Amino acid sequence: MYGLEAISNHNGWAMAVVGISIVFSGLLVLSFAISQLHKFIDLWENRKAHLQNMKELLQTKVKEEKPDYNFSFSRDVEESVHLITKRMGEPFSLPRLIDISKKFGLATPHSTINELIKADLIIPDGKGYFYWNTKKTL
Amino acid sequence: MATNVETLGSLELFKEMEYEALEDLAQIMQPLKVTEGEVLTLRGKQAQIFFIILSGNFMVSFSHDRALTLHNRGALMGLSTVITPFLYTGTVTALTDGEVLSMPGSTFWDFLQNNSALGDKILQKIKSMILERKNFFI
Amino acid sequence: MLDLLFQFLINTGYYLADYRQLIMLFFGCVFVYLGTAKKYEPLLLVPIGFGILIGNVPFFKGFGIGIYEDNSVLHYLYFGVTTGLYPSIVFLGLGAMTDFSSLLARPKLMLLGAAAQIGIFFTLLGALAAGFMPREAASIAIIGGADGPTSIFLTAKLAPELIGPIAIAAYSYMALIPIIQPPIMKLLTTRHERLIRMPEPRDVSKKELIIFPVVALLLCCFLAPTALPLLGMLFLGNLLKECSVTDRLAKTASTSLIDIATILLGVTVGASTQGDVFLTPKSVGIFCLGAFAFSIATASGIIFAKIMNFFIKEKINPLLGASGVSAVPGSAREVHLMGLKEDPTNFLLMHAMACNSSGVIGSAIGAGVLWSFMVK
Repeated sequence: MYGLEAISNHNGWAMAVVGISIVFSGLLVLSFAISQLHKFIDLWENRKAHLQNMKELLQTKVKEEKPDYNFSFSRDVEESVHLITKRMGEPFSLPRLIDISKKFGLATPHSTINELIKADLIIPDGKGYFYWNTKKTL
Repeated sequence: MATNVETLGSLELFKEMEYEALEDLAQIMQPLKVTEGEVLTLRGKQAQIFFIILSGNFMVSFSHDRALTLHNRGALMGLSTVITPFLYTGTVTALTDGEVLSMPGSTFWDFLQNNSALGDKILQKIKSMILERKNFFI
Repeated sequence: MLDLLFQFLINTGYYLADYRQLIMLFFGCVFVYLGTAKKYEPLLLVPIGFGILIGNVPFFKGFGIGIYEDNSVLHYLYFGVTTGLYPSIVFLGLGAMTDFSSLLARPKLMLLGAAAQIGIFFTLLGALAAGFMPREAASIAIIGGADGPTSIFLTAKLAPELIGPIAIAAYSYMALIPIIQPPIMKLLTTRHERLIRMPEPRDVSKKELIIFPVVALLLCCFLAPTALPLLGMLFLGNLLKECSVTDRLAKTASTSLIDIATILLGVTVGASTQGDVFLTPKSVGIFCLGAFAFSIATASGIIFAKIMNFFIKEKINPLLGASGVSAVPGSAREVHLMGLKEDPTNFLLMHAMACNSSGVIGSAIGAGVLWSFMVK
């Protein structure tokens, strides 16, 4: 026996409908129960929750201190890098600046340029490029 | 060698995690010392590891010679580990000596799957970092 | 001496080999390849593939070697399959590994897990229409639940002669989820729907996580007591994990115990697929119906999510409906990746895991319901 006749003969339609209904209703009841679960727990623990809130209000926040940068490189290095950026034009690419500085013989180009960034002499334009901050000097 | 729990707990990304979860995470994250000029990720390569800054300064360079610099403890690098097509969009270079935490992407996925709610919080924080750097992903 | 040598040679596999065994050995190698080289569900395909190789090496019957021969080692190991022992232990481990917090944070997603189980009952109708007897049809239908242990458990109770093909079909399709689900997801959803962002779920307290397995066990098993062996173990494992006072037990359940059960389940199921039993028109029918079951389950979850969106304010991304099948975590990952393709900042993984875990519960209830229908 095949096809719709086989399904009817073996009570297939009823099994499918009842089966889907049972699975759905089971999970529906479960989802309703767990959606209310946290409310019951909150009700039970009301006092404890208030105490916890009070404790959190009294805690003071520790402020992060901004580190004070002590720059060790000389003014010559700053001027050299500034000259390179002038030649590159603004806004310039930071990776290219590092490459060119290396070629020009700067000993530690990465950390040097990092220090210029930290000192706000090289500032980002927000689009991935950088420019020299002419308003600031060391 | 696994990293220590206190180090992880001090990072913004994992601030809300419980001690047990931090312990699990500490087992799978590896601290890595980097030196100035060291390259951690290469643009276009398969993104298999992501990094969190513990100390040091880093430059992430993108296409068209664009770059951004990261100086803060807790900043993420290698976010493409969680974004299709899972290829690094930037080259990460250390501007100074420092230390990072590294985690393989596959291990991170397993961690997220086994810790749904926490994983969701972590992914939301990652999402906000991605949005900040969205302009560089093209 | 020559007689002795000849006697030995006629008992070797080379002499006794049948073309059907050779075909199955080829399939075994394919499974091992897919698991090792392609990394398709290696924890399942490697033991099953190797089990197929073990089960189809030709041997002289009567020596107590084969899996269907009494007093053979494989037969004793197969006991765990025929009695439903291994699937229950796997569910214990699964419960100990599952984090239900995303489901508890958004209980609505449980309905998507329920919707995906429609695939089971559609397949029941399809199997009956194809001429299978009711017990066989129910065993085939459970493939639509996309849960290997549940499929094996129910088949062991209702149609043990079909364990081999049904288990192979169920696990094969679970491994092929990255191929089966994405086209269906893309076909049934628009780009706009795939871009729907899910809101951040609320925080779930530890107490909720502890109380949930108890409440869920009682509610589900009062409705379908026949689901007790599976759901009982699932929620026990979860309670062990969440209560924090049985960490050692939870760790054992989620690591060594589930691994042991998975290895033995895979190997013995694979070994049970002997050529003369497996290579029949019935097996082909089972495979076709299995594919049908998976597809309908995926589609029904997605369509139900779209219907739900007519009635709720906070829309659900319909892709999540596809993760209502209980193939954890494969289908959740596929949904997440599909969402990322449209929007790299749209993380659906946690929500998909919620639907996945409700699918596990739903498929176990479905199995219990089918078993109760077939008990006379």
